[in-house]
Amino acid sequence: MLTRLLMILGRAYVFALFIIIFTPMAIIIAISFSADSYLSFPPSGWSLEWYGKVLGNARFMNGLQNSAIIAVIVAGLSLLFGLPAAYALVRLEFPGREFLRNVILAPLILPTIVLGLGILMIFAPAKLVASYHGLVLAHLVITLPFTVRILQTTLSNLGRDAEYAAMTLGATPLRTFVQVTLPQLVPGIVASTAIAAILSFDEIVISLFIVGPRLSTLPVEIFRYVDERTDPLVAVLAVLLISISLIIVLIVERSVGFAKAFSR
Amino acid sequence: MGLAANAPVPAASMDAAAHHIRIEDLTFDYGGARPAVDRLSFGIRKGEFLGLLGPSGCGKSTTLRMIAGLMAPTSGRILIGGQDIVARPPWERNLGLVFQSYALFPHMTVAQNVAFGLKQRRVPRAEIRDRVAEALRVVRLDQMADRVPSALSGGQQQRVAIARAIVVEPEILLLDEPLSNLDARLRDEMRFEIRDIQTRTGITTLFVTHDQHEALTMCDRIAVMNVGELEQIGTPTEIYDQPASRFVANFIGRANELACSVDDTGALVCNGRRLPGRTTGVSPQPGSTVVAAIRPHAITLGEAAAGHLAGTVQRRVFVGNIIEVALALPDGQTVTVELRPGGAGDALAVPGAEVGLTWRPETMRVFAA
Repeated sequence: MLTRLLMILGRAYVFALFIIIFTPMAIIIAISFSADSYLSFPPSGWSLEWYGKVLGNARFMNGLQNSAIIAVIVAGLSLLFGLPAAYALVRLEFPGREFLRNVILAPLILPTIVLGLGILMIFAPAKLVASYHGLVLAHLVITLPFTVRILQTTLSNLGRDAEYAAMTLGATPLRTFVQVTLPQLVPGIVASTAIAAILSFDEIVISLFIVGPRLSTLPVEIFRYVDERTDPLVAVLAVLLISISLIIVLIVERSVGFAKAFSR
Repeated sequence: MGLAANAPVPAASMDAAAHHIRIEDLTFDYGGARPAVDRLSFGIRKGEFLGLLGPSGCGKSTTLRMIAGLMAPTSGRILIGGQDIVARPPWERNLGLVFQSYALFPHMTVAQNVAFGLKQRRVPRAEIRDRVAEALRVVRLDQMADRVPSALSGGQQQRVAIARAIVVEPEILLLDEPLSNLDARLRDEMRFEIRDIQTRTGITTLFVTHDQHEALTMCDRIAVMNVGELEQIGTPTEIYDQPASRFVANFIGRANELACSVDDTGALVCNGRRLPGRTTGVSPQPGSTVVAAIRPHAITLGEAAAGHLAGTVQRRVFVGNIIEVALALPDGQTVTVELRPGGAGDALAVPGAEVGLTWRPETMRVFAA
């Protein structure tokens, strides 16, 4: 009897949590289809007018293109640098390994605004401000700790027995890595690459420091727009950002399974 | 640790030529209080199934890993067919290793798992197909070739691991506690299955286990290890009937240990009684104290006056096929006796009763105290 009651209460609690999380989102989605010229809920009429305005806005479309290109490059480089780092931190033994493990996570703890300022101080004299490679480098500082961390977990959960088995069966360390370790890392690789892409695509604080008039990202453009006015265009942009993150998550889910990618 | 007086460990040189694998003075010292493996020497004959038995932490797994090349010995030699392989990396040793965890490649099918070693050796594709099929037939998994490991039961996964190891025709098959992850019923089945596969393929095998039952039932010979050292090597019968040390006597099967003194004539004296002679083990030195070990089932109960020793029944426990009787000797030492229900002495084994203990002298084994 008591357990039944607890179960009902538990369900009610979870349901309430979902309501709290998803209500604002539902409202934003509704407003994005508004026919009004200001933010209000419920809207007095419905239209696709604001979607048209976003698609016709050169600054947004330009920012979207930049953000997408940067996200793809950042995701690729995160994997390229993150995988060897994770491998070294998990599988190799060298002095200072524990120290490095912690240092690599440092950007996670530092306030992003401090990071942004620091990056600006270094990038300005190096002429990296307002350039693609500057933005990519800055985003890597944010994404690498996540990539390394996820791959580290995947790798240490794998254990070494399969690798040892491969070696005793005649596989050199390189072949063992390519034929045995790497295929088992796929869920971690997909997850960490997706995370890196989402982080880069959504990144605003650091980007604000180093974008310039000729190179800007979508979040920066949205930030600037919202700074000046508030109309349903903002809701459309929010829906756009949510959809893109959702699409990436869905790709992960379809290819390896979201739960699997993150729990292993 | 006891003495190994008249059950000597074979000297390194004695039948070295007959050995397919020789371990010589193998040591692994990671800087702890004592080496994990301490100057270990033994040989494995061609086609032999040798058990490496010992409690956890005795160094048996470390020894296996050194033979596999996954750990580098501090010193010593590992000879296969007379050649020292210590300097060779694992992928150049031509071994088959079966792990407790099976360690199958989860992203490959059963057939791909088994084919892995042959692919590394660049065996032609058609030959790989035939040999994989043959290996799967040997382990009775030919119907499962296209499954993935996660779709198989624990016993089937273990058989895939064995097929994967034997298909490359390794110089030596190393089995690291291969039965520990299986449930009891399957373990019994796999014991005979593994031994059967080994007999049919004739591959020289080293079987690491902490389970005396597995070792006794499966192995041609058993090497017993304790704290990094070899205690005794011999056939299961030798190990059980003529343990070379108190450790072996107690680790394999059960043993009663009686503290005895030795009188001027060299006879053992316990509780004021002279025990019958013709014991095995060390020769009792007059004036010394020794430990006499005797198995619980080797003792029979009779009239108090007629026994080699007399004791009082303290406890009687029915364990199905046997009755376990705990006895106290006058000096306080306790002795456990196993009787067959309804057999000799059963009627006498009543708590509180005074009974006599009798045994054949040669079943009593003497060790230095």
